[in-house]
Amino acid sequence: MDDSTKRILQRLIRRIPSQMLQTILGKWAHLSREDLHSLDFTQPKWVFTEHLLAHCEENGLTVKHITELEMIYIIENPNQGMWHGFQLLDAEEDAPSIELTQFKEQFKANLTELISHVSIKIKKHTDEAIWIRIAWGDNFTKPNHLKPTYVVHHLQTPYVFVTGLTSKHKPLLNQALVLATRYGSMKDAHLSGRNLTAIRDLLMRQYQQVFPTKHPKPLQEKNPVPRNPNIEKEQAENTENRLQMACEAFGDGTLPQLQKAVYKLETKFRDNSNKTLTGREEPFRGVVEFASTNLLESLRHCVSSGMASTPVTPLLSSITQKGRNYFVITDKGV
Amino acid sequence: MSLLKPFSKLPGLNTANILLVENEEQFQQKLADTVVLQEKNVNVNVRLARSLPLPMENEESRPRIDLVVFIIHLTSELSFQSAETSLKYLDPGYFQGKVCFLVTSARNVSVPPERLVSVRKLAASLHCPLLCAEDQTTEGVTTAAHRLLAILKVAAGLVPMATGLYLSTLTRCTVPSDIDQQNFE
Repeated sequence: MDDSTKRILQRLIRRIPSQMLQTILGKWAHLSREDLHSLDFTQPKWVFTEHLLAHCEENGLTVKHITELEMIYIIENPNQGMWHGFQLLDAEEDAPSIELTQFKEQFKANLTELISHVSIKIKKHTDEAIWIRIAWGDNFTKPNHLKPTYVVHHLQTPYVFVTGLTSKHKPLLNQALVLATRYGSMKDAHLSGRNLTAIRDLLMRQYQQVFPTKHPKPLQEKNPVPRNPNIEKEQAENTENRLQMACEAFGDGTLPQLQKAVYKLETKFRDNSNKTLTGREEPFRGVVEFASTNLLESLRHCVSSGMASTPVTPLLSSITQKGRNYFVITDKGV
Repeated sequence: MSLLKPFSKLPGLNTANILLVENEEQFQQKLADTVVLQEKNVNVNVRLARSLPLPMENEESRPRIDLVVFIIHLTSELSFQSAETSLKYLDPGYFQGKVCFLVTSARNVSVPPERLVSVRKLAASLHCPLLCAEDQTTEGVTTAAHRLLAILKVAAGLVPMATGLYLSTLTRCTVPSDIDQQNFE
């Protein structure tokens, strides 16, 4: 094994947290049961890495096998790094009938045609998602396995999720994906976050939604607290209304975990108390950013507790309704 | 304007009714649970509201309110403003010993001291007592409930030889005329 391969393995083992090391290695096909048992997982990591390296050298494992291990780790823990959502547009007639082998062949053929030195691994996960790992090289260098791009695509849906893609390789990936999935083009869905499951749930609407009803009933609580008959709420109807509107805008139960919402303003400045800035022709450029560990949960709480006025402004509700978290606001609308 | 009136309804036998008004609607629930559990001899009813005026629909079913408590969280300016606007919907009869102010987070370092001063001035101008409570621990909630119950029983007329007006002259909030502590003269 040459130095670069050793370095890749070392970096990977350093990256995997110690608790998960045994399970992840257990899923790797290139380590037999006896080998796995013989490895001592209580050692400090650098000692462990040396032993693992020795094993790999004995069995003649190459970069290909190590990247498999990395892929297993990332599929198990997808919620790291920054994921971006993309949407495929203009489906051709046979787009809904693409199946796995066809997609694999087409994608590999397209991408290797565009850029010769590239390493592609495609794997289908149990939940019908296709995971693609791409290590990019160029005409003179071998593929760089230290900075791979991961792509997740659910067949028959027009959504693609990507992490680790540089702007240099973006048009190449776009073209390969568009051709392989038989769509016309791919555009940025303006949705990004650290949590892959969250942005996938948001784009594909897989969270618990609440629909507006003509005869509103109070939302059933999951564990109704036994109400003390001596305690009574005066304005219970208002509270219920606010909760209903908050859940209509953002959903009920556990919400997808978004970290940020960014609003880029390109509107004119309007404030009568400030005469120098008002009345200028050019728009006043500003950026408003909402950040939180779970943004949708915070916004829902703001609305249901009355901090944000109801009905919910479309600026906030379009995060869930349109499935985006980057907006450019001009004077004519969003 | 629908004012809340103190004496427009008949009192209940051995009953005391307290209204907790809080913009955030968080501390009032804990306080209500504790108050109802603590008092064994008197039938205590707690009404919770976010702000005044109270909805007209509950007008008939609502009992006579003996004590109105405004819960103000000093960490939020909105809390104070909401309490101020709610005061307008109280009949002046309440300000003779049937209103109390409860503030939380008075010891919090990040709270601007001017806010507590303005709450004290408000309470002093209305001749109402001002209580400080600690809402994060169970002991704090229990203590606050205990003190509120003491004032409630007097305001409801359940303590012989004491009326709300009498108690409020003893417990009302005062603002020292010279608040500037650096002046040692």
